[in-house]
Amino acid sequence: MSETENGRRVSQSLKEYARGIAGGLLFSFPLLYTMEVWWAGFIAEPLDLLVLMVVTYLLLLGYNRFAGMHPDASWQNVFIDSVEEMGIGLLISFGVLLMLNRIELAHMSMDEIMGKVVIEAMAVSIGVSIGTAQLGASQEVKKDDRKARQENNRNSKVALSVLGLCGALVVGGNVAPTEEILMLGVEAQPGHLLMMAIFSLLQSVVVVFFSNFRGTASMSPNGLLFNMAFDTCMSYLIALAVSAFVLWFFGRFDGVSFWVGFAQVIVLGVLASLGASAGRLLIK
Amino acid sequence: MDRKQDQETANADKKNWLEWAVFGISLTLVLAILAYLGYMTYVHKPTPPDLVVEVKPDPSAHSPHRYHVLLLNKGGATAEEVLVEVALMQGGKEVEKGQLQIPFAPQDSKKEGWVAFSSKPSQADSVLTRVVSYKKP
Repeated sequence: MSETENGRRVSQSLKEYARGIAGGLLFSFPLLYTMEVWWAGFIAEPLDLLVLMVVTYLLLLGYNRFAGMHPDASWQNVFIDSVEEMGIGLLISFGVLLMLNRIELAHMSMDEIMGKVVIEAMAVSIGVSIGTAQLGASQEVKKDDRKARQENNRNSKVALSVLGLCGALVVGGNVAPTEEILMLGVEAQPGHLLMMAIFSLLQSVVVVFFSNFRGTASMSPNGLLFNMAFDTCMSYLIALAVSAFVLWFFGRFDGVSFWVGFAQVIVLGVLASLGASAGRLLIK
Repeated sequence: MDRKQDQETANADKKNWLEWAVFGISLTLVLAILAYLGYMTYVHKPTPPDLVVEVKPDPSAHSPHRYHVLLLNKGGATAEEVLVEVALMQGGKEVEKGQLQIPFAPQDSKKEGWVAFSSKPSQADSVLTRVVSYKKP
């Protein structure tokens, strides 16, 4: 059997999987070592887990479409890759939790094991997809060819929003389940929250400015200003939306006043906004 | 040249046996989990935690008056900060009391612990156990 008949070489796909696994662990080790996430695993209702899996799958689709390994891949391949990444995420999550003695096959109910594995796996699978695409971009596809495609295809606002979502989730998700967010939210005075919001916006401006600068040097000052204001607002709103979703998932809104919920979203938004605006840097 | 490149791209899109195997395993896993979660969502009725305590004497060399405590949660939800009380009774009177705190008892789980008394359990005629309190996580 010759290599050309066989599609990509096995060694090449092995390399891709290795990158994916490294990336998955790199981005999700903090969560695998966080006890609030294990607790969320057995506290979550089956429906919550279903929602989480669907949301994660949609994110993987978006990420693979706009920043994935194979820029010219068909939708069919994007679907397949996303399933693979989720599967790898599930296996890694199961393996690591077993190694850490967080799941005991003999003593724990199916629901508890499954809850822990599924929640951790979702974080791992996003890491896997980022790792596959970003770690060591020694692609044989011609660089110029890729660049040209990216310019048309990937720099759209939709692409940036999807990458922003992934970035916000990866960076914000790492601390969202911890008690510290609640503590910071409860103890913050309105003035502190205002500072956090302004700081988040400043962060976004800086990142947006430096990432936009490369592609749009020829743009008129007015256009640049409009674009920067638009992108900054968009990435901050994405960050807040992601923060709210993650906090809701970990039950941080149960039985708290609107103000406490709002404060938590702003606190988490500081991290998430950095992730959301840095998401665009993930496009090479 | 162009044709060769096209062919390369087409080949890059084609999957080899390893990728098909990983995809197959992943798809099976994901679908199985989705099916299980879907089934559980359909059957699941939210019920509060239902805790049962079982105790038995379990003396060791260094703590001869030790009791083994097994906490079972037979309900449909997790109980947090479970406080279990074990009391040695004699003729309807409490001789000595021990407490055990368990941070989490997920549904259908078994948690183990030990309570040690200072007086000889043989002096007591019965051991009374009670789950004092727990909260919703």
